[in-house]
Amino acid sequence: MKQQEIHNFLERYFMANHCELIENDKGYMTVQLTVELDKELMNRPFYWHYLEKTGGVPNPMKLTFITDKQQAPDNLQGEIIHFGSPRLHQIFDSTKNLAGFIRLYQKDQYHEQTALIPWIGINGKVSYQCDRKREVFHSIGLQLINGRMVENFHERLLKLPLTTKIPDYAYTLSPLIKPKSGVNRIQAFLTSIIEKEDHTWAVEARERWQKDLDLLHHFYENDEEKSESFETEKTALKEQYEPKIQLSIINGGLFYLTENAIT
Amino acid sequence: MNAEINFDSSWQNEMAERIEKDGPWGNWELYKLAVEIEKHTIIPEFEGLQAPGHLPDLTPLPHQLEVARQVVENMNGKAILADEVGLGKTIEAGLILKEYMIRGLVKKVLILVPASLVSQWEMELNTKFHIPAIAQKKSYVWEQFDVVVSSIDTAKRAPHKDIINQLNYDLIIIDEAHKLKNNKTKNYEFVQNLKKRFCLLLTATPIQNRIEEIFNLVSLLKPGHLGSESAFFDKYKKDARSVHDDEHLRELVNKVMIRNRRSDTGIEWTKRQVETILIHLSNEERALYNAIEDLRGSASGLASSQFSLMTLQREACSSREAVFYTLKNMLQRQENPSIELQNTISQLIKQVEAVTKNSKAEKALELINQIDDKVIIFTEYRATQLYLQWFLKQNGITSVPFRGGFKRGKKDWMRELFQKNVQVLIATEAGGEGINLQFCSHIINFDLPWNPMRLEQRIGRIHRLGQEKDVKIFNFATKDTVEEHVMKLLYEKINLFEKVIGELDDILTKWEFGNMEEHLVDIFGKSSSEGEIRIKMENLTSMIQFAEEMKGESQREATGNP
Repeated sequence: MKQQEIHNFLERYFMANHCELIENDKGYMTVQLTVELDKELMNRPFYWHYLEKTGGVPNPMKLTFITDKQQAPDNLQGEIIHFGSPRLHQIFDSTKNLAGFIRLYQKDQYHEQTALIPWIGINGKVSYQCDRKREVFHSIGLQLINGRMVENFHERLLKLPLTTKIPDYAYTLSPLIKPKSGVNRIQAFLTSIIEKEDHTWAVEARERWQKDLDLLHHFYENDEEKSESFETEKTALKEQYEPKIQLSIINGGLFYLTENAIT
Repeated sequence: MNAEINFDSSWQNEMAERIEKDGPWGNWELYKLAVEIEKHTIIPEFEGLQAPGHLPDLTPLPHQLEVARQVVENMNGKAILADEVGLGKTIEAGLILKEYMIRGLVKKVLILVPASLVSQWEMELNTKFHIPAIAQKKSYVWEQFDVVVSSIDTAKRAPHKDIINQLNYDLIIIDEAHKLKNNKTKNYEFVQNLKKRFCLLLTATPIQNRIEEIFNLVSLLKPGHLGSESAFFDKYKKDARSVHDDEHLRELVNKVMIRNRRSDTGIEWTKRQVETILIHLSNEERALYNAIEDLRGSASGLASSQFSLMTLQREACSSREAVFYTLKNMLQRQENPSIELQNTISQLIKQVEAVTKNSKAEKALELINQIDDKVIIFTEYRATQLYLQWFLKQNGITSVPFRGGFKRGKKDWMRELFQKNVQVLIATEAGGEGINLQFCSHIINFDLPWNPMRLEQRIGRIHRLGQEKDVKIFNFATKDTVEEHVMKLLYEKINLFEKVIGELDDILTKWEFGNMEEHLVDIFGKSSSEGEIRIKMENLTSMIQFAEEMKGESQREATGNP
C-alpha cells in the first residue's frame, strides 16, 4: 500500500463514518472524531463511562495523521501512518468490524413495478496454514431463488448502483433458499474447489512434521517413561506443522438485484 | 485430503440473526473498503518476505534479509542465529518475528534477554518494527500482553514461572543463548519446558569450547536433531575430533544454525586500531607485586591456593584497592584463621598501604585527556572500578559505573548518562555483555581478561553496526608481570585483537584446547620459574599458530552456512 493509497483510504474511512476532516492536505489530515468513532478507536472506556454517569458534554478527540513526512508541514504534531503501523491496522480491523453485514438494493429510476431478486454474497478468504501460510481471496454470490452461483461477485457488484433503501416501484422477492443454507452451499462449493487443488504443501508439511517427530522419539528413546517435556514438544510440533485450511468470511450480505444485473 | 478444512460459522449465525432483526446493516463504502484492505493484506505466497514492505523506516542489510528468509522458508522457524557480534542479530530476529506476525502465524511471543537489554529490545521492537512489545514489570503482564520482553532470571522465578508454564507461546526468542549451554542448570530446564511453536536462539559464541554445548543448544531448539544424549556422546565425546571435523555433524548443525561473518557481509567496517601500552610499576607497586610473587611455595597458608595467588597477582597489576579487598575477604572467610595466614595478610596489607599512586590510573587519565571524547574503561575488578571513579573525579573527569549486577533501570540510566552527560563509563566484566555503546569509539582495557571471548564481547559493545568511526583500543599491561606475558605472547603473537571472535573460537574448538583461562592459570600457577612460564606460553602460542595455519583454507567451509 503506497502512502497516497493510505491517505485516500483514511479519507474514505473517516468520511464514511461521518467524521469531519478539519484539515486535509498533501501528506496529512486532521480529523474530528465522532463520539462513536472515539469509542471505536481511542480506547478510553472510563472516560465515556464517567461522562455517561455524570451527563457531561462529550468531547471526542481530534486526530492528526501524517501520511507523508516530506509533504506535511515541518512542525506538525501527529501520528505518522504507514503500512504496518499499529494505528492503521487498528483502523483496518475497525473497518471490517463495522462492515461485516450489509443489505443493499439496486438503485434505478424504476418506471413500473420491478421485482428485485435476492442474492447472498460473501467475501472470504481461504488460509492454507502449516508452519507457513498462504491466503486466497474469494467472492461468491448465490441467487436465492434459483440457486445460481457466481464467482468474483464483489467485482460485479462494484459496477452496480446500490442503495440502502428500497427504491420506489421496486419490490423484493422472498428467497426460496434460506440465506443460511445459501452460505452452506457456498461453503460446499468452496470446499469442492479446495479439494481439487494441489496439496503438495500439506504433504510436505506432514513430511517435515513426521521427520521432527521421529527425531523427538529418538531423543527420548532411552527414557522409560516419556517425560513431560516430551509431551510438550510433541504438541508443539503438531501446532507448528499440522496443515490446516481455514475458510473465513470477511463480510457479506443480502443484495436485491434486477433480473439481469449479474450476467 | 492432507489438510483439515475448517469453516468459521460465526458469520453465518450472526447474519441469520441480523436478518431476523432487520439489521443493523453496515455502510457500503466501509464494506468496499474492508474488501480492499483484505486484498492488500492477503499473503499471496508461502515463500518470500512480507515484512520489509511493512517497515518503511528500516533498511535491513542483505545478509539480514537472507537470514530471515532462510529461517522462515528452510528452517521452519527454529534456528540458532549465530552471526558474529555486531552484525545485527536483533534486526534479524525482529524481521522474523514481524514476518510471522504479518502472516498471522504468531501472536503470543516471549523474548528472554539479559536484564541490561530488556529496555533496548522493547524500544527497538516498538520503534523499528512497530511491534507493541512490552517489558515485563508486573506479573499480570505475561497473560495480558502478547509480546513480552523479560530477563530469564525474572521469568524463571515465582510467581512468574508458574504463569509462564501455563501459556502457549507461538514464538520464543532468547538472546545471548550461549548461556544455556549447560543442560543441568535451572535456566536450561526452564527454557526446555516452555511451550513453543517457533524458536530463535541468538548467540555470537555458539560453540565456545565443547561439543556438548552445541548439543545442548540444538536440543533445546529441536530435540533429537543431534540424536539422543547417550547416543550423541557415545559417538562424539571420546572422539578427539570436534564439530567441524565431522562432515555429518557439521551438516546437521548447519541445518539449524546460521552464522554470518563480518567478511561475508560485504559491509565496510570501521577499522580497529589496537595499541598496547606498557606501564612501569612504581617502586611501591613493584614491591607489592613481588611480595605476592614471593609467597609462591612458601608455607603461608595462602600459597595452598594457586588460584588466590594468581588472583592477587593479577589484582596487583590493576589496583591496590583490588588487592586489599581480596585480602580482607580471605581473612573474613576463614573461621579460625591461622596465625601464619593472619601474619601474611597483614604483611601484604602493609605493602598495600605503602602504595601511594596507581601508575595505570595516571596513564589512563593522561589518555582520557588526550582523547577528549567518550571513553569506556573496562576492568575486571569492582574495587578498581570504585577507585577509578574516585580518581577521575579528583581530576575533574565525569564518569559513571556499569556492572552486571545493576537493575535494568539503573543500567539504562547509566547508559543514558554516558551518552549525554559524562565522558567515561567504567565497566566491570559483567557489564561487558549486553549493552550497545556504538556512540563511543574508545576503549581502555585497564586489565585484560584471560578469556579471549570476553575480550571480544567488550570490543563488540562499540565495534558493531552503527559505529561510524574507527575504533581505538588501548590495552594496558604492567611491565614484567603476568600481564605482560599474557599480552605479549598471547594477544600480540596470535593477533587476537585484529581477529574476530569466530576465528579463535573455531581454533580452540577444533584442537580441543579447552578453556584458555584454565591454560593460563595452569601455566602461571604451576610453573616454578620465569623461564618455565615463558616456554609454556610459547608452546601454547605456537600450538595456536599451528592450528591456525592448518585451518587456513578450510575455515570458511568449516562454519559456512547451509
